Amino acid sequence: MERIIFLVDMQSFYASLEKVYHGGLDHQPVVVAGDPKIRSGVILAACPIAKRWGIQTAEALWEAENKCPDLVVIKPHMQAYINASIEIAAALESFSDEVEPYSVDEIFVEMTHSLKLSSESAFQAAKRMKRHIKRMLGVNARVGIGSTKVLAKMACDHFAKKNKNGIFTLTEENIPGTLWPLPIGKMFGVGRRMDDHLRNMGIRTIGQLAHFPAEQLKKRWGVNGELLWRTAHGWDPSPVTVSTHIHQKGIGHRMTLPRDYNTWKEIKVVLRELSEEVARRTRANGYMGMTVSAGAGGQNVHDSVGFHRQQKLPDYTNDGKMIYESAAELFNKHWGGYPVRSVGVTLDQLIPDTYRQLNLFHPVQDRETLNRTVDSLKSRYGSAAILHASSLTTAGQAKLRAQKIGGHYK
Amino acid sequence: MHFIVQREQFVQSVQHVNKAVSSRTTIPILTGIKLNVTFHGITLTGSDSDISIESFIPAADEERELAEIKEEGSIVLQSRFFADIVKKLPGEEIEIFVKDQFAATVKSGSVVFNLNGLDPEEYPRLPTLEEDQTFSLPQSLLKDMIRQTVFAVSTQETRPVLTGVNLEAADGILLCTATDSHRLAMRKASLETDNESLEIKNIVVPGKSLNELNKVLEETDELVDIIVTDSQVLFKLERLLFFSRLLDGKYPVTSTMIPDQFKTKIELSKRDLLQSLERALLLSREAKNNVVNLKSLDGRQIEITSVSVEVGKVTERVDCTELDGEELRISFNGKNLIDALRVIDSDVISIAFTGAMSPFVLKPADHEQMLHLFSPVRTY
Repeated sequence: MERIIFLVDMQSFYASLEKVYHGGLDHQPVVVAGDPKIRSGVILAACPIAKRWGIQTAEALWEAENKCPDLVVIKPHMQAYINASIEIAAALESFSDEVEPYSVDEIFVEMTHSLKLSSESAFQAAKRMKRHIKRMLGVNARVGIGSTKVLAKMACDHFAKKNKNGIFTLTEENIPGTLWPLPIGKMFGVGRRMDDHLRNMGIRTIGQLAHFPAEQLKKRWGVNGELLWRTAHGWDPSPVTVSTHIHQKGIGHRMTLPRDYNTWKEIKVVLRELSEEVARRTRANGYMGMTVSAGAGGQNVHDSVGFHRQQKLPDYTNDGKMIYESAAELFNKHWGGYPVRSVGVTLDQLIPDTYRQLNLFHPVQDRETLNRTVDSLKSRYGSAAILHASSLTTAGQAKLRAQKIGGHYK
Repeated sequence: MHFIVQREQFVQSVQHVNKAVSSRTTIPILTGIKLNVTFHGITLTGSDSDISIESFIPAADEERELAEIKEEGSIVLQSRFFADIVKKLPGEEIEIFVKDQFAATVKSGSVVFNLNGLDPEEYPRLPTLEEDQTFSLPQSLLKDMIRQTVFAVSTQETRPVLTGVNLEAADGILLCTATDSHRLAMRKASLETDNESLEIKNIVVPGKSLNELNKVLEETDELVDIIVTDSQVLFKLERLLFFSRLLDGKYPVTSTMIPDQFKTKIELSKRDLLQSLERALLLSREAKNNVVNLKSLDGRQIEITSVSVEVGKVTERVDCTELDGEELRISFNGKNLIDALRVIDSDVISIAFTGAMSPFVLKPADHEQMLHLFSPVRTY
């Protein structure tokens, strides 16, 4: 089966974020540099306008200032960029559950399975993804689409970035006409030294490398030589690995609703169901967690809307009520009142529940007894055996969900 | 501004006010120490806007001249350099004068430092507090009360109000309480106040402030005046003012959490229990959960055990002077108990339990001024 992988790259990420944070800088050349007071600082990022003046990433600040006298120089705020990056990665989970942050401004998304389930084409999904990121953080994204990770990466770096719509697809079919004519130094995995070596062997383009006998490369560089040859063909079996950056061993559930839920009254019903389910799974695995995250996604007229936020609890828990209360708080703060089509709740920062430090203010013994009883009822008679009364209202999904596995009827 | 001051006096004052200065302040002028010189003496000020410390060196005390004031004036000097410089000066005396705008000269022996200063007019003014809620305590008692409670404050910001110590006063009794919601430390003391009707409630002083205050307090019976308002507290020593911001929010009611009926009660030597727990913790610290188990035995003995799956197990019997009530098995965070035992000055302590899942009370056996409460650890 042909895989479909996206590499999402944020354009001038640091500089774009600073432009959004500061406002009023839309039409000015902006760079983020080590320390503006030290003129020998290095440019970490330059916005497209600054780049038009010939400014390049990694050149000295004084050089940049010579090129562009009106340059706006901003000190970096790394934590903010990392937070934004995590936020984007978390948001991309509404497109696929296999999301791997590759660097601060690049994210791999495995779309193979989720596209199969939707009527969208890869190109349409990429467009929606770009729009989503733009709306969320005001940053332009480019999407490289490929049948492997290296192809997605090279599609993004060499084509999507130059393409007007910021999207490009590389597959084994089209690489002879697109990727192969490129100079060998542009290939993923080829640095300056390797570039020299290959050129000395008469290999000047990626295509020439692809047609070079693999055995000779292997003889000279071992496994790495073969790897380069495979890359030239766009072959790369490596999977998109869900990163520890967004999920530190969390237990979570996400539900797509059968219709838009417009009111808090309805949403809170499914939020409670999800919280109870997360809690039950946490207990079943013998854990407690300390961080609750909640998110929602939906469509407001034509635009995708949504949020994904987390907060820390005062103490470890595996109780659905505690998780629900925290998730409800997150909703009250971050949900913008738009129609909601999908809801998710996750419990993170897990530790084993064999020992539990009891709390002076919140006795948990009664809840623990209750939860144990509910768990044994459910495991014996099915997950619909005992429910919150609210699950019987029209908004409730628990009864329906009890008949399904992974969103499909049993 | 121009003065000559005894080095020893001056260094101590600088070090005191420097405790309030933080290099990570958002207000640049607060990275400095303010010197204000009048013919009465020298006032030094340091602040990080949460804590402010003001130290005063009079031109002379009863016995001798401490400073010679030649010209009044003020300046703000970078504390990071100034504090280190004065400490390392060679002479018995230090001469400081400001000639140009904000350039100071610091002389001692044959050493001359020329330092760039900041405009003292930009330095924020310290709050003036109305002195209607005032009480006094001997310095040494305040020092004890801080030491015996502040260790129990929470270090987590999820409930900010628990990162402070709560002060309450009524009927001539001052009560200090600290808790991180797993353990609680409480200390009482009689007050010396002219104000019979003094009643204060929900005055929560950040633990960090009290730790700094503790460093400038001395083991003397001299009184500290404590002045509280809604947002600030001021500790007034003879030549030092210590201001701290108070924490917002309502401190939880803790008096109702202390059980008054018990099922099992033991009394034993503090040292025996402390040493036993320290041994047990050698293993449970390895397991990273600090869990220690306690079991009552026949014949006035308890058994202390702890287990680390990788390392092994320790079992120990400890003699008690008293053991009454039901049989008991309980687990708790041994580190928390050790923290409390270390601040108890009595030789014999009592612990009263109400079952394996309920909080238990640790007290010195010879007085009622102090109480520690712990919630156990539930084990499967």
